Amino acid sequence: MVGPIASLSQLHRSDGSASYKCPATGYSILGAVNGPIELPARRDALKPEEATVEVFVKPGTTTGGVGERYIEGILRSVLGKIVLGREKGFPRRGVVITLAIVGGENVARGDNYLTILPALLHTGLLAMISASVPLSMTFSATLLGVTEDGDIVRDPSPTAAKAAVSLHVFAFSSKNHLLLNESEGRFGFDTWEYVRERALSICQGETTASADGDVAMGEGTASASVSGFIRETVEDQIYSDYAYKLDSI
Amino acid sequence: MTALVLLPSDEVPQDHLPTNNSNPLRLGPGLRILSQPSSNGSNHVLTATQAGLLTTDAKRNTVSLLSFPNRRYIPTVNDFVIAQIHHSSVDFFHCMVTPHTAHALLGQLSFEGASKKTRPMLKQGELVYARVQSVGLGAGAEVELTCVNPATGKADGGLGPLTGGMVFDVSTGMAARLIRASSTSAENTDAIEGLAVLSELGKKLESLGGFEIAVGRNGKVWVDCSIAAESAVKVTVAIGRCLQETDQQNLHTHDQKKLVMKILRDMKLVS
Amino acid sequence: MSKEAQLSIAERDFILEALCENVRLDGRKPDDYRPLNISFGEEYGHVKLQLGKTNIIVRISAEVTKPREDRPFDGLFNINLELSAMGSPAWENGRTNDIEAYATNILDRIIRHSNALDTESLCILKGVSCWSIRADVHIIDYDGNITDAACIAVMAGLQHFRRPDAVVRDGRVIVYGVEQRVPVPLNITHKPLSVTFQTYNDSKHVIVDATLKEEQAAEGDIVIGMNSAGDVCYLSKYAGAPADAMAIVNKTNVAWEKVKEINAAIEKVLQADLAKRAKIGMADESRAENDRLVQIE
Repeated sequence: MVGPIASLSQLHRSDGSASYKCPATGYSILGAVNGPIELPARRDALKPEEATVEVFVKPGTTTGGVGERYIEGILRSVLGKIVLGREKGFPRRGVVITLAIVGGENVARGDNYLTILPALLHTGLLAMISASVPLSMTFSATLLGVTEDGDIVRDPSPTAAKAAVSLHVFAFSSKNHLLLNESEGRFGFDTWEYVRERALSICQGETTASADGDVAMGEGTASASVSGFIRETVEDQIYSDYAYKLDSI
Repeated sequence: MTALVLLPSDEVPQDHLPTNNSNPLRLGPGLRILSQPSSNGSNHVLTATQAGLLTTDAKRNTVSLLSFPNRRYIPTVNDFVIAQIHHSSVDFFHCMVTPHTAHALLGQLSFEGASKKTRPMLKQGELVYARVQSVGLGAGAEVELTCVNPATGKADGGLGPLTGGMVFDVSTGMAARLIRASSTSAENTDAIEGLAVLSELGKKLESLGGFEIAVGRNGKVWVDCSIAAESAVKVTVAIGRCLQETDQQNLHTHDQKKLVMKILRDMKLVS
Repeated sequence: MSKEAQLSIAERDFILEALCENVRLDGRKPDDYRPLNISFGEEYGHVKLQLGKTNIIVRISAEVTKPREDRPFDGLFNINLELSAMGSPAWENGRTNDIEAYATNILDRIIRHSNALDTESLCILKGVSCWSIRADVHIIDYDGNITDAACIAVMAGLQHFRRPDAVVRDGRVIVYGVEQRVPVPLNITHKPLSVTFQTYNDSKHVIVDATLKEEQAAEGDIVIGMNSAGDVCYLSKYAGAPADAMAIVNKTNVAWEKVKEINAAIEKVLQADLAKRAKIGMADESRAENDRLVQIE
């Protein structure tokens, strides 16, 4: 399958930015991070000891509504947890994350947002890295759908996701801890456990040696894993930004 | 040495740490210490909190991470910044160091030879070249600036109000490079920090009288060419364009030289 | 509401002094636009536009809806511009501000009120169903002159967009999928664009396509909305210092030249994109042909 495409720091005004495109689901997200900055209108909501993380999701062809506010809550809890909000310059300030859905089908009102969640999570993470917001860890996420026949499909397209019996989003930290699980539909514990293992191998590319043949396909080596992809994206940008330094070494 | 890029939560490999034990190990931004060496022979355990290129300096026994150049500036003690006066109160000038953050304080008397009677009367929008004196501890701490060196009471390094001229915005990474390049007094000025743009401009503009420049770590470069008289405006614009294009397109040294020629011709400053 | 950081005195004075010598900070002439770069995404009506460091994405979308009671023969067309913190840290997410209202108003007047998109052609069945066309403008990097940039991007988007075909059969509306019938372009009656001028030094110096810093140093602005035929459809002297009437007359000629130039540039990228799509379409067809052969085996 075709892997995602991402790049960092293409915007000028924001302190950090990232674009992320997932060809399998068709979504293309642009993310921007400003921080640490004052949030004058949120004075009463600010925490005195640490940074306040704000997430705003802007749909491409509609005005934001309940669905966006709901997914913002999930994103804020995951992205907010990995920010080291007590580092110098961050307490009492805001880290504002703006994610615009610039390509792909719209998520219709009332539809679930799970299909786009991994792309939003990755864009948010990469944009925070690009803004040099101090983080305790990175993570990688994936979307899996379980079809009627019990097959597990990675990154199902919006149509395939509609037909799926259950949908699962998993995010694992760079230390392999489960950071987020959002599941929807009908499924048993056995299915969930099987999906979780598969998700871990997609994200971190580790359990492939013991897994069966079809899991190993295209996900085998570390660089083909989602976490490997995130690392390469960041490395590419650092190498190009510091080309002048690397030339002289 | 191989270039090593770390991501948040990556550990600094032991073989990349400087082995100089005469000085205590010093950490730059983007790294935090998880455990100190103890008597039973364990080593420093350092992890990254930002993504960046790991650099070490064996002589000064430092480890630091170079993160993305487009990041927002966070005031750090002893940095030189170009601050803009926002308003003044009885004891302080309230200054903007980066947009959309709390104002930094600059004492009304923190200027060379300033007394109640001789202190500068700065208006809103005027610029000062200042040093970060303290960033405070804990929540809500205010950043304090000063325009004198506390040790000498003098305005070392051009500290004080900046009058006339023009400021240009560059990335914080570019500002740091410009400062490192100017503080290195090597013979071969062409290759420092991969910057040839300033020395090239200096050579080409010498006949017009040269120019004065001050770099603030907060991503501002102040340029003054009043010596160049009637071509002052064009020279200033040319310098600003050269710096900004070098920054934005991350130009290599030989492209920087080409850029300088191209822009000076474009501005009709050289034939 | 937080605002853009103010200009320093040094910057304001220098910009004004330089204009007296007809010099701008990026080396442009007073009547020059910044480099304009327009490209299209995979979907119809997805425009990416860069005007210097001002960066905009426009997406056009269509859905079937009920026409308004008082206008049963008309479809709907809306331009939606919502600023977010992506474009500038001065803009707060989820809050409206002056620039948003100002730019939306100008876009509405130039494009919607001049009927650039023929809304009658969007009617499917009188009083029952019609197309609702929506243009979403995303400012992703703000360095001045968003009205001109947004206007160019929306007009390019409307010309690039293809809506699904719909027919009425036995009193029922049937909408064909993009795979079933070739989608149809919108009916564009004329191609108006805005040209924004900023004035300085008692309107002695007038420039087009100001950057953010130039806008901040300006004493007033003049916006002219015009099409390639030279019909003025919008003219405003919104705020700031009074401008010299002759300057407006003279600059209208400049505006016309700019509108013709930019419309030609839009046409060029549109044709290039159309040719590219035709090529891909043919490749897809032959691949589909091959797929069918495989299936037969």
